[in-house]
Amino acid sequence: MLERGLEEKTYVLNLGPQHPSTHGVLRVELEMEGEFIIKADPDIGYGHRGHEHMAENRTYAQFLPNMGRVDYLHALAYNQCYCMGVEKLLELQVPERAEYIRVITAELNRLTSHFLWVGAYLMDLGAFTPFLYCFDDREQVLDLLDYLTGSRLTYCFYRFGGVPVDIDDDFTAGCRKFIQRLRGRWVDYDNLVTKNVIFIHRTRDVGVITQEQCIKYGLTGPMVRGSGIPYDIRKSEPYSAYPAFDFEIPIGERGDVMDRYLVRMREMEQSLRIIEQALDKLPAGPIMAEKIPKRLKPAAGEVYAAVETARGEFGCYIVSAGDTKPYRIKLRVPSFGNLSILPEIAVDTLVADLVAILGSIDVVVPEIDR
Amino acid sequence: MLRDNIQKALAPLQLEQVAVGDYAKTGCHLDATAAPEQMPAVAEALLSLGCFLESLTCLHYPEHFTLVYHFANFQELCRLAVHVKVPFDQEAPSISHIYPGANWYEREAYDLYGIRFTGHPDLRRILLPFDADFHPLLKKFGESPADA
Repeated sequence: MLERGLEEKTYVLNLGPQHPSTHGVLRVELEMEGEFIIKADPDIGYGHRGHEHMAENRTYAQFLPNMGRVDYLHALAYNQCYCMGVEKLLELQVPERAEYIRVITAELNRLTSHFLWVGAYLMDLGAFTPFLYCFDDREQVLDLLDYLTGSRLTYCFYRFGGVPVDIDDDFTAGCRKFIQRLRGRWVDYDNLVTKNVIFIHRTRDVGVITQEQCIKYGLTGPMVRGSGIPYDIRKSEPYSAYPAFDFEIPIGERGDVMDRYLVRMREMEQSLRIIEQALDKLPAGPIMAEKIPKRLKPAAGEVYAAVETARGEFGCYIVSAGDTKPYRIKLRVPSFGNLSILPEIAVDTLVADLVAILGSIDVVVPEIDR
Repeated sequence: MLRDNIQKALAPLQLEQVAVGDYAKTGCHLDATAAPEQMPAVAEALLSLGCFLESLTCLHYPEHFTLVYHFANFQELCRLAVHVKVPFDQEAPSISHIYPGANWYEREAYDLYGIRFTGHPDLRRILLPFDADFHPLLKKFGESPADA
């Protein structure tokens, strides 16, 4: 048994791996002095499935369903990034209509991810009701995506060269009805959450991240936008049909937890704008590229493709050795970089604040573990 | 333009190669090749230009490891890929004192490939259990393709 003297001031506290606020199986080893954290050491890897190893043992097409399981909350963005990478390797041109359908579905999926985040995050902070509101709205989107793609969570909807199913009038009408419904709901969210004084006190000036830290830790997504850097791959490195749409990048001022919440909430409205414009401007034409080889064997080379997911930049680095299987696929996942700043910003905070900070990073642990 | 600035900042380091990349094909605006001991200087030069470390990974070839660093910038679109060949018996210098974000990426490369980084403050496994006795992404060259 470990002997400890009375002068010993610190003790170790385990947050997780089965703590509700860790959103998956994440353990944070905390060294505490009273209620204050002296040192935080996240322990990841509980959900390591070896996606990158699987990639080397599968053909390009066989690896596609894996992409929906890396980050199951914004699966379509991961589908899209991987498809973009392989399309670049194969030099495939995706028809415009397919790009629009990709944008519409990826943005709907971003909404579901943000809804789940808002609901679960507020539950971490002790508010149960917003969770029910969020899941009510999220359910509507899931029904739409279910109608089109056939699944509700781990989507595998895009194909190399386009999309397999065209959207129809029912889907379009459903989208428009949903947009209208959600626009009327923002005021409810504002009254229920954003103006809630308990919520404000829990989040204002907590977990502040400076712009310098964003650069040093390679943060992306709402983490950097909350700190006032307007970095969004959809704008800064335009891909798919995004250049055709008019939307804004919401940014915060102080870089605290509250700003990251506000960025995500305002981003949802921008997603609605994108979907609306895409439905209005949807071009006619084919949804799949012509002449896609049956056996995919890209020439030797490497490619880096990046998309903006709900959590930040997802990069797919594919190295081809001219074989039917990839030589190496590195999945640059946003949560991995975003979580790596936790040991720095957790120091000198209370455990209750750590829960607020950890939630504001919006980690999806299986994505970090891969 | 950031691309020119990066080229200018890297010129005094006399890297093996700094070439303009084919962005439409590879997704990178600049491709560089460097020796392992040059990496800290490269990282410092890029940090002073406000670039961030986007990703760091390793590739296993029959003769050597290749570390691939991707750098990007929040203000302007310019992605730089740096390839660094590291012989099997050699360690690579860590850049985690310059980019703290590299800390976890280097731990990941060590975990998956067994490549070691000199000067890393805490080179432990990160994804696999601490007591694992293998590095899962090492390729088995010369065996049947099914085991690769």
